[in-house]
Amino acid sequence: MNIDPAKNMMDKTATESRRRFLKVLLAGSGALLSGGILAGYCRRIAAHAASNTARGAVSETFIAKAASYDGNLTSVIGSALKELGITSRMIKGKNIVLKPNLVETHIGTGHINTHPAVVLAAAGTFRRLGATTVVVAEGPGHTRDSILVLEESGLADLLYREHIPFVDLNYDNWVTVSNTSRISRLNRLTLPVTLARADWIVSMAKMKTHHWVGVTLSMKNLFGVMPGAFYGWPKNALHMAGIEPCILDINAVVRPHLAIVDGILGMEGDGPIMGRPKHAGVLVLGKNLTAVDATCCRIMDIAPEKVTYLAAASLILGPVNEAGIRQRGERVSAVRTRFALVDDIPAHRRLRS
Amino acid sequence: MNNADPSIKPYVRELQTRCLQEGGFSRPDAVAWAILALRAAGETPDLVLKAQKRLMTNQATDGRISLDAGHPGAFWPTALAVLAWQGSAAFENARARAVAFLLQCTGTHWPRKKGSPIAHDTNIKGWSWTADTHAWVQPTALALIALRSAGYHDHERVLEGKRLLLDRQLPDGGWNYGNTRVFGKILRPMPACTAMALGALAMTVPETIVTVSLQYLKEAIKTIRSPLSLGWGVLALSAWGNRPPAAFSWIVEALQRQQRYGLFDTALLSLLLVAFFEPDCLTQAMGESP
Repeated sequence: MNIDPAKNMMDKTATESRRRFLKVLLAGSGALLSGGILAGYCRRIAAHAASNTARGAVSETFIAKAASYDGNLTSVIGSALKELGITSRMIKGKNIVLKPNLVETHIGTGHINTHPAVVLAAAGTFRRLGATTVVVAEGPGHTRDSILVLEESGLADLLYREHIPFVDLNYDNWVTVSNTSRISRLNRLTLPVTLARADWIVSMAKMKTHHWVGVTLSMKNLFGVMPGAFYGWPKNALHMAGIEPCILDINAVVRPHLAIVDGILGMEGDGPIMGRPKHAGVLVLGKNLTAVDATCCRIMDIAPEKVTYLAAASLILGPVNEAGIRQRGERVSAVRTRFALVDDIPAHRRLRS
Repeated sequence: MNNADPSIKPYVRELQTRCLQEGGFSRPDAVAWAILALRAAGETPDLVLKAQKRLMTNQATDGRISLDAGHPGAFWPTALAVLAWQGSAAFENARARAVAFLLQCTGTHWPRKKGSPIAHDTNIKGWSWTADTHAWVQPTALALIALRSAGYHDHERVLEGKRLLLDRQLPDGGWNYGNTRVFGKILRPMPACTAMALGALAMTVPETIVTVSLQYLKEAIKTIRSPLSLGWGVLALSAWGNRPPAAFSWIVEALQRQQRYGLFDTALLSLLLVAFFEPDCLTQAMGESP
């Protein structure tokens, strides 16, 4: 992945076809897409878009059982990467950025953030595969005090012990690039240079419900790469431009290489902060974030095609339907764990199959 | 006297070494904080002057100081610049323009909608981090401190800003970034946001209105050694006459954590130095005694 504006970030052919596709979609709309309009266009075009998207491409996701954070997660992640065809030849000499979900911390609320043990296991795995550098990077969305978040989450001690650098993306040096997909009204996206220098970006999300968009998984996790210095705390500039369109825009530009979702202990109910801990006992991995998130939804007993931004992502970023996802490791049915939704939260309504 | 504490000198020297050849430091917010820190430490007036001049080169015609010329909407450093230019006659005009910008600048606001899941009053203008976004606790607190430092104690924007902060105070005490209750759930407080709000409200609201928040901060700060929360925590509690007796040793502990985490960002390093050398700076800047 490269966010140098002089270089194309996506496969050129795919990019051009997606741009053309979006232009077709947007022609005549005359309006920038808000969440509601986004939902509308999803409904309108879902039928023909499904066949248009990622035609013939099947994405693999891997579900690994992991009962707790005390097990050998390095081995679990290592096996999963092998199953996904990620070899030392691909990683050797590469600069890896691990982007966990660290929103805010409070005593007794470990289910808000990606668990440090998962981050550490991923770092160990990539080092073992020969990565030149492994960096943990995050721009917490609710607080400017990233050091406090690291300390209270328990990640600081582990990073120090293992000599893993941390980059506060909220204040990183920046590069501004064109917002190529233009699903939101934002013309440009300002991104941290740490991403530009990375060969591999790994979105390490937490498996959670979300009270504005239904679920927050590897795609929504990318809000954390947007520097607070330019987008605020919370990243309100993205909220004002529409959370769902921005999820799509950011993913279309950043294009992470891998997702690892921590579903060992997730969050149900009023996520992403005030919900209850929910044990699902899984890690979900894959190279296509949309496919990974769709699989996570199925594990959570949520219909991914009913999550508006995932339905839209299926048009431009990756598969959501089961036919487009080759499931490795555990079967979804073997690990499905119903995450509670809240009737009073509009984004939670009608998310079940 | 803490000024003579030899353990702090290396950190002041570290800050001095970060001064750029052309004057100033990295980002405009860091420049402003470095000015405040060097001034508080009573060091190198030449560096302070250069940094103040550098800050002036970041000022747009409408008075704002943005993070970067290519991002005029990221104007949140403006309030810090007002503080960094305070007391310097040569920069009075620049400061006045920055103040004028703050007075006309508002967060996006709207009448509260019936059935909205958000509990706070969305119609109070306040200040935002960036253009065309809602008002939040920290930029509003910074703007209040800056405007009060410029003598605008009773200006309608200041009164309204105070109203915003009190509206965003959590029912159980403290502040977070600025949401109080969403979908019926009361959100949790955060130390740095609480400290900034308390700092901005110091000596202008009765203590009884913020007693629980003060209690929260006093308790939370005991175990916090991260620079942002500790630095602002010391400044805020000092402004309320509640500086913890161990504050100076906590600041030294926090500074020493650079051996573990690497060098702190210039703004954070400077904030700790300000809290160490001039813990009463908020009340001094706002023109009232603690």
